[in-house]
Amino acid sequence: MQNVSPRFSHIAPFERRAIFRRAFVNSLPVLMGYVTMGFAAGVLLSVKGGVPFAPLWSLVISATVISGTMSFAIVPALAQGDSLLSVALLTLGINFRYAFYGFSMLGRWRSIPLLQKWFLVHSLADEIYALDVACRIKDSDKHRYYCLWNHALCAAYWVLGSTSGAVAGAALPLPSKGIEFAMVALFLVIFTDQMKGFFRHA
Amino acid sequence: MLEKAVYTAAVVAVAWAVTFGLRSLPFLLFAGRSRDLPPSVERFGAFVSPVIIAGLIVYSYSALEWRTAWPYLAGALTVALQLWKGNPLASIIAGTALYMSLLGFCGCATSTVAYEQDIAHPLLHVTRNGMKFMDEYVTPEEAVRRLENGKVPKDVTIYVQVDEDFDDQRALWVFKNNYLSRAGYTRSAWVHRRRAESGSADKVDRNLNERKIPFEGRTIRQEPGKRIVHTHPSANP
Repeated sequence: MQNVSPRFSHIAPFERRAIFRRAFVNSLPVLMGYVTMGFAAGVLLSVKGGVPFAPLWSLVISATVISGTMSFAIVPALAQGDSLLSVALLTLGINFRYAFYGFSMLGRWRSIPLLQKWFLVHSLADEIYALDVACRIKDSDKHRYYCLWNHALCAAYWVLGSTSGAVAGAALPLPSKGIEFAMVALFLVIFTDQMKGFFRHA
Repeated sequence: MLEKAVYTAAVVAVAWAVTFGLRSLPFLLFAGRSRDLPPSVERFGAFVSPVIIAGLIVYSYSALEWRTAWPYLAGALTVALQLWKGNPLASIIAGTALYMSLLGFCGCATSTVAYEQDIAHPLLHVTRNGMKFMDEYVTPEEAVRRLENGKVPKDVTIYVQVDEDFDDQRALWVFKNNYLSRAGYTRSAWVHRRRAESGSADKVDRNLNERKIPFEGRTIRQEPGKRIVHTHPSANP
């Protein structure tokens, strides 16, 4: 591994600001999506999860398991008291696709300090990955700077959305009957997009 | 409370560990190498993930009111919007809103009753003439279906009142294991009560004690107030 500094002092401040602005503007659609989806997941957890201190758990889940689908799927598992093995299998099934995301980032993230790499891998969710891939910055240090801001911003949106959703679900009598359809709808949307791509290529 | 917190923490830890493991898999596999993904792995990934998602869709429908048409209508709207506009958020919100309003407005098709029960007020009652759900004779399948439709949670104990003169232990065992447990009601308890205390049962079969009970080819006359317990034919020489 090359000797890469974790700091970005060698990039000019105006360029850093420009990269941050770019990351922020590109992440705005994700802001809309993550805050609303996170809100729904948070409401679902506090209404159907049956766990005490739901907002706290929503914060923990959204900050560790940064995965929209899993945030929904973990709720019935918690409510029914599923065994840890079945939770592991469920996670494996739902998040299997993440194993393929890293492959396309192997080359670009080859020489990144360990702690930064750990954070990038930790928060490698669908939309965040899509923004990483869409970024056209050639310089590897600037690309790393962009990716770090992108991951930090999007993860923050997700945590914000889920926690506020759980707070709202715990505090307000929201109409919750049937809200569990949101997860099924998410699966249906993912599947429809996959089929679209499949038939376009075939 | 503490137990639940420990369990929740364990579930979150497992989910995070598996997710992080999957995300870091390529970096561990190809550490220090610069070559790209083999095309066979890429094809496998493209094939396997829609299959997994399709399985998840079928599985998650079982948590909805899948006996009614509503989840399928809402699902059709979600897929149609996604095909037409391609905006995931709009499709999800529209589908969920349709499902929630269908459940709310057309609740008559599904059950909107929520039954409460405890040891003093069991919903189920086993008499010699059959099983009753709230003073109405039903089949065991129907009884379990009504529990589920009545939103009786699966983690509470289901109390079943058993008449004193009901001595078919095997039938109780079958009901507990083949009907209640299989539907997810793993905790159940028999409530034995004297006939005089259970008001509803007397109305239906008032002269039960005078009735002849066929047993092992013989006819035994049951005397009032005396309970006959036959556990196994070998116990009755």
